[in-house]
Amino acid sequence: MSKPESTEGSMQPAAERIGVYLLSDIEDSTVDLRAVAQFASGLKSVAVVRTLEFLRRLNPEELAREITREKLTSVVLAGERPGRHKGAFTRALALAGGDGEKIRLASFAERSSGLTTEGAKQIVAGACAPEAGAASVAAYPAAGASKFQPSTCNPATLVIGGGVAGIQASLEIAESGNKVYLVERTGTIGGRMAMFDKTFPTLDCAACILTPKMVAVGQNKNIEILVLSEVQQVTGQAGAFKVKVLKHATRVDASACVACGDCARFCPTTTSSDFDMGIATRKSIFMPFPQAVPNTYMIDALHCQWVQSEGKKCGACAKKCAKNAIHLDAQDEIVELEVGNIIVATGYETFDAGRIERYGYGRHPNVLSSLEFERLTNASGPTGGKIVMKTKRLNKKSKQEEWVFEPDGPKPRSVAIVHCVGSRDQNHNSYCSRVCCMYSLKFAHLVREKCPEATCYEYYIDMRAYGKGYEEFFERVHEEGVHIVQGRSAMVEERDSQLYIKGEDIANNRLIELPVDMVLLSVGLQPSPGSGELAAKLDISRDKDGWFRELDYNAEPNCTARPGIFVAGVCQGPKDIPDTVAQASAAASYVLSSIVAANSLKEPSEGDELETGVLARS
Amino acid sequence: MNSRRAYSLAPKKAREKETKMAVRINPNLIDDLEHYGAQDVSKCYQCGNCSAACPHSENPYVFPRKSMHQLQTGQEKPLRSSLDPWLCYYCGDCSTQCPRGAEPGETMMALRRWLTSQYDFTGLSRLLYRSWAAELTAILIVALLTGAGFLAFGFMHGGNIAVYDGENAFLPAHYIHIFDWTMGTTLGLLLFINAVRMWRFTVLSEGAPQVGLSLYLRYLVLLPVHFFTQERFRKCENKKPWALHLWLMLSYLTMLILIMFFLKYVQAGPEINWFAHGFGYLSAFGLVVASILHLRGRIQKDAAYHRHSHESDWMFLALLIFVSVTGVVQHILHRAGMPMAANITYVVHLMGVVPMLGLEVPFSKWSHLAYRPLAVYFAQLLAAARAEHPAAVAQAAAPAD
Repeated sequence: MSKPESTEGSMQPAAERIGVYLLSDIEDSTVDLRAVAQFASGLKSVAVVRTLEFLRRLNPEELAREITREKLTSVVLAGERPGRHKGAFTRALALAGGDGEKIRLASFAERSSGLTTEGAKQIVAGACAPEAGAASVAAYPAAGASKFQPSTCNPATLVIGGGVAGIQASLEIAESGNKVYLVERTGTIGGRMAMFDKTFPTLDCAACILTPKMVAVGQNKNIEILVLSEVQQVTGQAGAFKVKVLKHATRVDASACVACGDCARFCPTTTSSDFDMGIATRKSIFMPFPQAVPNTYMIDALHCQWVQSEGKKCGACAKKCAKNAIHLDAQDEIVELEVGNIIVATGYETFDAGRIERYGYGRHPNVLSSLEFERLTNASGPTGGKIVMKTKRLNKKSKQEEWVFEPDGPKPRSVAIVHCVGSRDQNHNSYCSRVCCMYSLKFAHLVREKCPEATCYEYYIDMRAYGKGYEEFFERVHEEGVHIVQGRSAMVEERDSQLYIKGEDIANNRLIELPVDMVLLSVGLQPSPGSGELAAKLDISRDKDGWFRELDYNAEPNCTARPGIFVAGVCQGPKDIPDTVAQASAAASYVLSSIVAANSLKEPSEGDELETGVLARS
Repeated sequence: MNSRRAYSLAPKKAREKETKMAVRINPNLIDDLEHYGAQDVSKCYQCGNCSAACPHSENPYVFPRKSMHQLQTGQEKPLRSSLDPWLCYYCGDCSTQCPRGAEPGETMMALRRWLTSQYDFTGLSRLLYRSWAAELTAILIVALLTGAGFLAFGFMHGGNIAVYDGENAFLPAHYIHIFDWTMGTTLGLLLFINAVRMWRFTVLSEGAPQVGLSLYLRYLVLLPVHFFTQERFRKCENKKPWALHLWLMLSYLTMLILIMFFLKYVQAGPEINWFAHGFGYLSAFGLVVASILHLRGRIQKDAAYHRHSHESDWMFLALLIFVSVTGVVQHILHRAGMPMAANITYVVHLMGVVPMLGLEVPFSKWSHLAYRPLAVYFAQLLAAARAEHPAAVAQAAAPAD
């Protein structure tokens, strides 16, 4: 491509003067911007090199003055997301009387974690070269460049996280006949989705969708599930990873256990159930929920008297087990796996609503977080799916009063739902968690369905009903008689054992304080605890919010910067169930593609060649 | 239980009324307000958290979100007729909780400065608030004129700069007394005119209900109550700023009464007249300490309400501390038997007093001494009138400009 000046046929093409603007927005960057700036200033026809703070709002007039002063003819914007400031520079060039189109973007984004200073220098040099076109997308990878194809590939795959994403990816890979190791931190696969009662916007029963998939995983011979397990170390490279997994002892022999439940009946210690988000109790030997996969009991070592007393106390379960399946002295073990690819699907945890004191979470018993409400309204929850208020009860053992859900508890007469708790808030998480608006509407629907006489209020800032069928769902819930109030409510107070919620009704420009019986806080999503350590073990990077960073936002949302490691589901960024499942299948397709490609490279048969030839001719 | 009645969300009539009102937009208002210290107003995404968090925000005066919105959309006239900024006492809860860092508290502060300049009929206030250089220049000019004036006066009426009291006193108390009253009356008149303009902009604005004379009389007591107690300020969750402000204000008021009515006892010396000077010492102590505490707060940015300081805030504190300290020094020099030094310090003291009062009371920060209680009074009048004649309100809300 020739320079535009020469194509215009002017007598003497004016000497090009390039302004290079480096945007410094990469945290823990491997690129030394100062070295790149120094390098750029030595390039031919580069007149100015400047480093700009990425988040700063640029003033086009100020830039225009600089462009005029330095007589710049074109601008190179280099950085992770140089497109962000293109508008300001287009305007600045136009203001300075130049050609607003003469901006070249040099993007570092694709290889932010692996990019070296040398690599960055090359990208900048490429953009500054005379043959670089206007608005060139220098350094964008060629299609498929990220799909590093090793010549040999271990067909086994490690899937980290047994939520719906991990389940979907495992099934896709295993059904093609390849081995999958599914590592799960808790005692069962199923993840967050297993806790839900209904899915939005279709109001399908979540368990009806998920449990068949869970059972399929449990029954698939190619899938080995490792529960209570965590990845400890990853070495090797794409095609041949070596992974050490710490497998905590369940202390129950899964092959012998028939899930009769005798052990739990005799277990003397009761503790709160993680699966029920603490609103119900379980024994120290337990099964997370009746449909758990693997469908066996296991021991919570932290609360088991036998384990805590090192064998001096209790041991009732082992004595009562008819199948002799309980081995209280079983030890944690480290499993070494060899895999060709890794899929990360670690999901999320919800924002801790207690961090925002004014909502009274943790102080008032009937202020619930969203997952607590999911368990309350779930048929397998403590009330069998009835929406009731917490009531005070005397705990006979501890002789203390406590607030519990009981199936015959009083029904709430009014429920308020608060959106954006911990989301879209620079004091907490500045991003939108994407699913809260819709699950809040689902809650409102469930309240109206199960307690028709209860009034229900939704306090929202902006209603984000962006998906297929979502807007229609919003309208449906509105028509069901839910009061949808525009305005984020600011506080929940208790006076005379009555909760009051105070907020501004923006559409009507007035403050409202309503007496309510129950407040549901729509907490946002944030990366699972331990994501940071996992990222370090896998040597992949995370963005500023802690989500795993994809190779390219648009082109490669499944790949990480490290070949052979893929991401699926919320761990890459908040998303709903359909998107999670789709991304999980996509991650599986990357894995399968690399397995198939390596195998076909290994054994090129004559028949293959012939077939290819025929196809080419037709 | 009556309070359990479901909240009806759509008072349709009320909304239809609103849509009838046409409002002229000033797109440059938000930029203009930046000169008055408004920051990051455009970051606001109208969540309403601030309005609900504010201890002062009550129906029908719901702020600061509404003011933020009016500012974002350039609704100059509704903003000018709004009393909301004066009902805010800047505890900073809104800014601390703001999910966008849009600084609603500081915006209300900037709006108070802007409203002061709108009420001022001379246009001087706008000049002083918008330009740091103009304010400094004005202060210097007034100070120099004052200094020159008093020196000329001292020598011309036959005073001796080495004499403080008695026959040939350089600045005799009875002359200063006349000067004080002349200046007080002038400033009071200027402030009165501005206060009348405030009344016109707010109580007589289009769409406001008719306020009958009986209401004016019934609530008149609010003016002295809020002037002396700053009762509303006390509603902020943190009581310290209110206490500090009240201390400063009472100290100042005591000093003002001493000067305006008892100057001949205060200025007399060199013996200490405990009847007058006892009060004087108390108030001087209050003035110096409270204003230094305020200054320290602003320098250390110790709270949300001290995070941002406009040039006028610094100037005000600087003048106040300067005047207090020179007053104290002058008093000490006089008692220490150095009449000449006392006289010179007295002139310097007056060079601070005149620009401080002359510029701040009618045109700048100090005018809030009138606007604050007036706003509480007017707000009560309008709310009461609205409650009395709901029908009249609907009529008054007919098409505006």
